[in-house]
Amino acid sequence: MRKGLFYGLLFTSPAILGFIIFTLGPMIASLVLSLTDYNVFKEQTSFIGFQNYSRMFSGEDELFFKSLGVTFYFVILRVPAVIILSFCIAMLLNMNVRGRAIFRTIIYLPSIVPAVASAMIWMWLLNPDLGLINSVLSWLHLPTSNWLYAENSVIPSVVLTTLWGIGSTVIIFLAGLSGISKQYYEAIDVDGGGWYSKLRHITIPMVTPTIFFNTIMTIIGSFQVFNEAYILTEGGPNNQSLFYVFYLWRTGFRDTEMGYASALAWILFIVIMFFTFIVFKTSKSWVHYEGGERT
Amino acid sequence: MTRQKKSLFVLMALLLMLVTILSACSKSGTVSKNNTSPSASGDGASSDAASKDPVTLRISEWGSPDEVAAYKVAIKKFEAKFPNVKVDLQHIATDYDTKLTTMVAGNDVPDIAMMESGTIAFPLAEQGKFYNLQEFMDSDPDISIDKLVPNIMYSLEPGNVIGIGPGPESFGLFYNEDIFKEAGISPPPAKASEAWTWDEFVDVAKQLTVDSKGRTAKDADFDPKNIKQYGVNASTWWGVYSNFIYSNGGDFISEDGKTFALNQPEAVEALQKVSDLMNVHHVSPSPVQAKNIPATNVALQTKKVAMAIDGQWASAALAQSKFNFNVGVLPVLKEPGTTIVAGMFSIFKSTKHPQESWELLKALLDPESSIDMITSGTWMPSYKNWYTDPALLAKWTENLDARPSAYKEAIIDVLLTKSHQTPTGYVKNFNKIMDIVNPALDKVWLGQQTAQEAMDSIAPKAQEQVQGRRDIAQ
Repeated sequence: MRKGLFYGLLFTSPAILGFIIFTLGPMIASLVLSLTDYNVFKEQTSFIGFQNYSRMFSGEDELFFKSLGVTFYFVILRVPAVIILSFCIAMLLNMNVRGRAIFRTIIYLPSIVPAVASAMIWMWLLNPDLGLINSVLSWLHLPTSNWLYAENSVIPSVVLTTLWGIGSTVIIFLAGLSGISKQYYEAIDVDGGGWYSKLRHITIPMVTPTIFFNTIMTIIGSFQVFNEAYILTEGGPNNQSLFYVFYLWRTGFRDTEMGYASALAWILFIVIMFFTFIVFKTSKSWVHYEGGERT
Repeated sequence: MTRQKKSLFVLMALLLMLVTILSACSKSGTVSKNNTSPSASGDGASSDAASKDPVTLRISEWGSPDEVAAYKVAIKKFEAKFPNVKVDLQHIATDYDTKLTTMVAGNDVPDIAMMESGTIAFPLAEQGKFYNLQEFMDSDPDISIDKLVPNIMYSLEPGNVIGIGPGPESFGLFYNEDIFKEAGISPPPAKASEAWTWDEFVDVAKQLTVDSKGRTAKDADFDPKNIKQYGVNASTWWGVYSNFIYSNGGDFISEDGKTFALNQPEAVEALQKVSDLMNVHHVSPSPVQAKNIPATNVALQTKKVAMAIDGQWASAALAQSKFNFNVGVLPVLKEPGTTIVAGMFSIFKSTKHPQESWELLKALLDPESSIDMITSGTWMPSYKNWYTDPALLAKWTENLDARPSAYKEAIIDVLLTKSHQTPTGYVKNFNKIMDIVNPALDKVWLGQQTAQEAMDSIAPKAQEQVQGRRDIAQ
């Protein structure tokens, strides 16, 4: 038994050590640093209490609220889009059609394209004058847009570009869908229900744990959006895509105000924790666990 | 037996891991000692001869493969001259500032670094991380301010030089000669004294802006939505529009360094005129349309644009494109002129070998070392005598694809006599000011606001970030 424990610790030690050294340590360090005026280039760092935090909330730093607002807008648009779209795609991929494996591969493929590469592709696709999307739209006599280059369309455009990489969410949904026992559907068939009854009374309730999981992961991922601002928009036009993490990065690495950037990071941590907590709290009323009791 | 063997292996592997981790820790521990060695600013300059002990210098830079090749030539020559010194070239191709910041945070900095005036160079200098190169220059007969081209030195304050650029870069009006010949229009003048006024410039640009049905921007039924050839490409980068602000007698901040000045009439007029090129005259692509315009060499060659306002570094690519291009002086608002932009080499205070570093920096500035870069068109020499001595000048301006016929007058003469320092070099807190200015200018470039409205609306906020100038004693 003790030997088992020893081997267990031994083989998990890379992960545990990795977590302590590269995650927990830096987190504690950043919490401490967020209470200082740590600037990489300055010799002296002094403890300033909660000044970094008051600087954010007093309105002195307008870009804090701006970037937070931009990020919220992004999250609110993106999370439902990702969940609904990937659920629908998973449903289609779950059907028993020929070449199912190929379709599944195709859907997952964009997820392994490097973020920079797919951002560049989207930059060309969304180009207002030469891009494929506007060309097709104008060929169909539909209204075109300036996409990434106009203030009101930049965030929806960025959401659109990120939908391209939902492969992994789809895969998780697929796993959830294939776990549903056929007997339930047969019961509906016997009762004379159609596809809608199946969806409404079997499929959706049965995949709520998956929806729950995916929602939380998508919320966390969406709050941390960075590559798109870094590559596609640089925060423009008129700061309309100044995502929080991009602003945080700029504060830390361009303005070298690491103390303040740490404080920004902790606020983001709290925001994400808060939303995750809310989803967890509400989950009791809508997530259904097979064999578990609904409370 | 085998089982025991296995566990022995596992233990050894674990031990190895531990050793690696520990050795990594101790290594960074020794490096951090460097930082604690106190070095007064004069130390490096006063030590006379370079010591003969083996020395390794570390230099970090970014740059294209061509530039790296030039650095390697310079380093090879330097190592031949100082056999005891070895140079370790650290090429950081992307995220240079992020990586350098991390290196500083970890007390693991190079001896010499290529720095960009617009980013972390001044924040580092303000914390006393760089040597004052003036002190080296004072005791070095080989190099002095007078021997260098103007505006390639960066100073934290008067007398405190933190970096010297390996070469100046100025702006010009590059154009496709064939387009002008076909249209029967005389090309942009080469001499600064004959430079176009803004109105003349706009008029020519209009004649050369052609829509898909062959009508020019001068025609009444011209269709600005379907432009085949733009008269000019003026980018919305500050490097480009600063030329016209200075030409109009304007500035980013006032002469005494106390007031935000982009909302003053001279600057506003220049900004408005650049915006009008896009939104009123339709002779230059708007920021949205500009996404379709390829690099200057391709844009000019394929006749997507007739003229392009660009840095002289464009010469290298233009030369490779093999078509009839030439260069003229920029249009003039009040005074002819050009903004000089250049990277710089700085020496970190933490270096143990300041004298050797200084010698290396000099080697990197030497035009002989980077002659390939200079003749190919990317760089220009940093020493004045390469411009004034006819033999030296001929070396890099004559019979070369990258140096068209008007080059000497349009680029070199203006650079030597009428150049202006880049705003990043003298405006304190430039980045923070531009964080406020740039979003407002987005609206000007898109034609949604006038330059006056936009700059007035952010002036109070921008004023809060004004901290003075580096080129005057305060």
